[in-house]
Amino acid sequence: MSFKNNLQDVELFNGLTSVELAEISHICHEKIFKPGDTIAFQGAQGDEMYIITEGFVQVSIRQISGERIIVNLGAGQIFGEMALVDKGPRSATVKAISDPTVVQIIHANDFDQICTQNNHIGYIVMRNLASDISFKLRHRNLSEAG
Amino acid sequence: MATYKVSFVIVGSDQPGAIFSMRNAPRVGDTVKLDNDLFEVTEVFELMPPRGDFHYYHATCRMIDIEKTSTK
Repeated sequence: MSFKNNLQDVELFNGLTSVELAEISHICHEKIFKPGDTIAFQGAQGDEMYIITEGFVQVSIRQISGERIIVNLGAGQIFGEMALVDKGPRSATVKAISDPTVVQIIHANDFDQICTQNNHIGYIVMRNLASDISFKLRHRNLSEAG
Repeated sequence: MATYKVSFVIVGSDQPGAIFSMRNAPRVGDTVKLDNDLFEVTEVFELMPPRGDFHYYHATCRMIDIEKTSTK
């Protein structure tokens, strides 16, 4: 299966045409991690978003009481997207927990450029980004309630 | 092809839960492996309406007691 076909399974790109998916594939850079590798550090400046195409990552936050694992994310999920939206520091630390953990990395500048050049891509991706954040909030609410 | 994005929440365990995509919708009674631990799905509901080929579900799970099940 081609990488472009894999992108069709990523919610962030739901609604894009085949040609637009090909454009997106050109700004993705694959990176493979081993269990225990830290992909993003809480508090660090980030200018990349990550799409998990294989394996799992563990998302944790530092608290006064220590580190707390808040969720594991698997294939098809994204992380690091908040830094692209609000330009703020990383809100959590993300570590690879499976062997291998394969991610596609999109740089903020490439992301901004493609969204500006093609308004349809920009609208679809931003809508899906909002939907993903909404889903994560709903998950968090149910998790806290449980 | 449909994709099911599922929010897994584990009750009665320190396991933090997970979000991942599946080819099939989760069902009550399904077994899920997270962090080398096995969990049983005890509740499933649609979290958000579907959009295109994407469906959004929530599944509540409980840890399966391996020792109890293996001695039955």
